[in-house]
Amino acid sequence: MDEKFDCIIVGAGVAGLSAAMMLARANMKFLLIEKGEFPGSKNVSGGVLWGNDLAKLVPNYWEEDAGWDRFINHRRLTFLDEESSFSIDFKSSHFNEAPYTGVVVLRSKFDRWLAEKVEEAIAESDFAMDSFIAPNILVEEILMEDGKAVGIRTGEEKFFADSIIIAEGVNNLLTRQVGLQDKYVPADHMLTGVKEIIRFDQNVLEDRFQLNGNSGMSNEFVGFATNGIEGGGFLYTNKDTISLGLVLGLKDLREKEQAPYDVLNHFKKHPVIADMIRGGEVVEYSAHIVSSGDKRVMPEKLYKAGLVICGEAANLLMNAGKAIQGMDYAMRSGILAAEAITKAKEKGDFGEEAMKAYQTALEDSYIMKDINNFQDAVHLLHDPVMTQKVPNLICDFGRNFFSINNEPTPKSRTMLRGAIKRHASYWELFKLGIKGGKAL
Amino acid sequence: MKLLSLPERLGLVSYRNQAKSEIKPHIVVDTDICNSTCPHKCTTYVCPANCYTKDENGKVHFQVEDCIECGTCMYACDQGAVSWEFPDPEIGRGVTWNYG
Repeated sequence: MDEKFDCIIVGAGVAGLSAAMMLARANMKFLLIEKGEFPGSKNVSGGVLWGNDLAKLVPNYWEEDAGWDRFINHRRLTFLDEESSFSIDFKSSHFNEAPYTGVVVLRSKFDRWLAEKVEEAIAESDFAMDSFIAPNILVEEILMEDGKAVGIRTGEEKFFADSIIIAEGVNNLLTRQVGLQDKYVPADHMLTGVKEIIRFDQNVLEDRFQLNGNSGMSNEFVGFATNGIEGGGFLYTNKDTISLGLVLGLKDLREKEQAPYDVLNHFKKHPVIADMIRGGEVVEYSAHIVSSGDKRVMPEKLYKAGLVICGEAANLLMNAGKAIQGMDYAMRSGILAAEAITKAKEKGDFGEEAMKAYQTALEDSYIMKDINNFQDAVHLLHDPVMTQKVPNLICDFGRNFFSINNEPTPKSRTMLRGAIKRHASYWELFKLGIKGGKAL
Repeated sequence: MKLLSLPERLGLVSYRNQAKSEIKPHIVVDTDICNSTCPHKCTTYVCPANCYTKDENGKVHFQVEDCIECGTCMYACDQGAVSWEFPDPEIGRGVTWNYG
């Protein structure tokens, strides 16, 4: 392997594997390096992979019962106070047709499967014997020469390439090393995710969540779930397990002196959640940092001569209230990076301008358009009025609205006025409404 | 459903090089900073694997064995006490997720 590669990709997560797939198809000679025992072994997500880019990478993936767990045709957003839940619930057979617009995945399984598909693409390429996926290797340094990335170093060994794709994930040490991210990133706009995988008898799971065949549900939670910490909860149905977890604002967690695993138990104790998880068995506990989609902390420049940054390494993730999107951004950014590098190879120029084409393509894609358009929504979702007072207010109203007391029933607007008075002020809601109007 | 304690949860995690007695820590913590100037000692509660603990005298201690490489301490520590790297595949600890 002492010959030079067209490209070295650092990290076999969704971004790195997507880039690799495109490079293999474009007959590029590349090396994909992964620090874990196998692709996916160090990767954690919620997680739903939204959108249908997966069908571009693995056509007809749905015909195979491997890799992904369930497709989403049921979405639910739930507000919680300490005893109630009030949900916006949407389920439609419209989402039953492949290619699906969202699939639930477990990364240890999904990334490993996607890597097998990349191996197949390598085998069919001109570099069947010269492109590799290499696990168990930790990249310690990006080698630079005259401001251009020329290779990587692992221990004493060096590998060289015309281009490098950094797809190392949110804990982006190499991105910091090449100076595209600050050496210290403060907690302010980062969140800590904690999750349990809870196993059920598959029939129990399917009956409990009204699943049919491979259909699945995604449920997000705000309010009581996070015990006063900014953030939210999630529940996704896998094949015979659920992913149940929280994302918690790290600065808030620090200031309020709470432990994420305690907050997770607080969430699980809620009567509505307890009913959902009864009889389940926890089979894995995991945690990972996640970025928030707040542009103020995202690396601004995602390229250098001979180098581009993809996926969560570039903090490409956003929760604007509709869904937590990260893996789809990783996938698309990996595809765009590979396209820019393939073009660079055709022109024989991997300089700064050629790499800039990647960021331009990213700006023109739905990723940066959405991130730019929904910054107000990101801020709104992290507003304490939104994460605490609003859920309490909604659940209070729900309790009154759905109570039948054999007494004269007040008009709904009277109930609403009462609920507002008990939990917030009109002024707070007015400000929130203005923000919300702008955000959406 | 029974709620799990953190040790029970960590008991479900598969660590690499678990059998090795000598490992190279991938995180180095300057606990002199924690125990002198740090106003919050926040790693002792925000770390999802409780790798940072306080003893009866309020002193911070760190152990790397339970680390699940989430990254939380790298951001949470604003005092410059945490030097964070990924574990070496051969002689580090770190995690291998079964589900992820």
